[in-house]
Amino acid sequence: MKGFTLWFTGLPCSGKSTLARRVEEILLERGMNVEVLDGDEVREHLSKGLGYSKEDRDTNIRRIGYVAKLLSRNGVVAVGAAISPYRAIRDEVRGWHDRFVEVYVKAPVDVLTERDVKGMYKKALAGQIKHFTGVDDPYEPPENPEVVVETDKESVTESVNKIIHTLEIMNYIPGSGTTSDYSAEEEEEIKARLKDLGYI
Amino acid sequence: MKLFGRKKKQVCVVGLDGVPYTLLQAMMETGVMPRTREIVSRGVLRSMTVTLPEISSVSWSTFMTGKNPGEHGIFGFTDLKKGTYDLRFPTFRDLRTETIWDLVGRSGGRSVVVNQPSTYPAREIPGVLISGFVSVDIDKSVQPKKHLAMLARHGYRVDVDTDKCRNNPTLLFSQLASLLEARLRVVNELWSGESWTFMEVVVTGTDRLHHFAWDAYEDSSHPHHADFLDYYAKVDAFIGQLYDKFAREDSPENFFLLSDHGFCRTKKEFYVNTVLEQHGYLKLDPASSGTGASPAPSPSLANIMADSKAFALDPARIYIHRRDRYPRGSVDEKDVARLKREIAEAFESAADANGEKIVRRVFDAADVYSGPHALEGPDLLLIPYNGYDMKGKLGAPSAVGDRRLQGMHTWDNAFFFSMRKDLVDPQKDIEIVEVPWIILRSVDVGP
Repeated sequence: MKGFTLWFTGLPCSGKSTLARRVEEILLERGMNVEVLDGDEVREHLSKGLGYSKEDRDTNIRRIGYVAKLLSRNGVVAVGAAISPYRAIRDEVRGWHDRFVEVYVKAPVDVLTERDVKGMYKKALAGQIKHFTGVDDPYEPPENPEVVVETDKESVTESVNKIIHTLEIMNYIPGSGTTSDYSAEEEEEIKARLKDLGYI
Repeated sequence: MKLFGRKKKQVCVVGLDGVPYTLLQAMMETGVMPRTREIVSRGVLRSMTVTLPEISSVSWSTFMTGKNPGEHGIFGFTDLKKGTYDLRFPTFRDLRTETIWDLVGRSGGRSVVVNQPSTYPAREIPGVLISGFVSVDIDKSVQPKKHLAMLARHGYRVDVDTDKCRNNPTLLFSQLASLLEARLRVVNELWSGESWTFMEVVVTGTDRLHHFAWDAYEDSSHPHHADFLDYYAKVDAFIGQLYDKFAREDSPENFFLLSDHGFCRTKKEFYVNTVLEQHGYLKLDPASSGTGASPAPSPSLANIMADSKAFALDPARIYIHRRDRYPRGSVDEKDVARLKREIAEAFESAADANGEKIVRRVFDAADVYSGPHALEGPDLLLIPYNGYDMKGKLGAPSAVGDRRLQGMHTWDNAFFFSMRKDLVDPQKDIEIVEVPWIILRSVDVGP
């Protein structure tokens, strides 16, 4: 299979990294080469020293996008997981790619404030962190993402399935054919009903 | 409904699972379905063939995508897990192509889809989706989930209790009627409560009725003959009520009916794997058949031997046991064409004890499937003469056995009705794969 870039964008704590890692597991199982470029990790290495001004944020995204382009054109699935708050820069990165799939990880700020797994929203709301996306920095949602997942309404599995299904439909990844969507009990029920109707 | 002062086109589709063209005609001509007769008189009713195999999961997947199984990837109710001989049950997630509702959505429209088989578990579509057979959990059968409460309020159920209804006609007719009523209540609520371009509802009770009580149709002295006709009268009223509502919308000519396969009476069952065994193409490990006091386990493809050349999955999908595809596969690609010819000949000569031919036609999958997933499907497909219900069952002692159910599917004699005469070519036979594109043209939606 050819490579492509799967780009997760969304507010802090919306679930980008969690989804990226789950998708990574599935793609690895299906024999793809995958590399996750996680925003938090990238800032420790590739973008060390950059801050959170718009200019620095744009530079960070361009760096992730550039590496993703190099990886994807060499047959790797490059998974970007970064807030990437500005639409123009995301679209610029998209323009560098032949095969680019944008996943909008959507969740309302009030839910995320409550979720606040890293305690960041609390600090931002208290004024202890400046330029925090969703609090005192803007987030521009994608206008035409390939996938929208709503992590306040869906389970992680449902969101992951939605992403995987889209990638299958686009023929970017091979179909599963190896697993079952049903539990063992559900399979027994299905067998019984198919037998009742003479289908097996 | 008006959009910026212009009329917005809408479409209404009613699916009747397993209703044959000839049965529909008979019901209209004998006065059982007067409303349908009146509606059909305004358009074009045609006999239709469906994709192979002639089962609902494949036919409806073809309808909902406008693609053949080689493209949409659904070849049956069962498949083998890749690299194993274990059965799996493909779901909506295995559908490899976009649905017509996705296309409607891309053009700015919304769909309301009720009781669509092979859409379980339901996923988000632009609009509302309520999955049909094989749905095992209502909570996973509805998108958006906010409609779950409404379904509960209407006493909505996806299907009859097939295990209880199979041998209990009284319960069958009672459940069929209550299901149809609940289905109509749900459609009515969504009709007025949702904004939609594409409205679709599938009646699956017809298929259940035919499997369990076909004899009651053919035999006018049957104790449930009147019940059979009465259910069709109810279906007629259902169609009539939907059409009456649709006639009040702005594009009432965009009204369509279809079935997903035909039906006929079952005389006997025909066991494809037994024939393969009799001709030496399929060998199951005899050590797995049980000895002495130990009961024999159910025969399973897990016991297939390495020198097996072919096996079948329901209803009559024959797979060559390829070396590069199956763990114990032994057939090289160079031998596939010869084997397919040999096996086809073996089935073409199959006959009942009275000399009656059983196999009407053997299809080479290469002639009927195309697309990126065509090679995931079977190599050969059989269709029988009416009356011989083909099965992939393993371990049947003889090729022909007694029937368990009264009715069976047919590949042809399904039907399609379009009120829009201009959309149907009068010179050409209809195939189900064309139907969604005909319907979408009525609302100016293309691929």
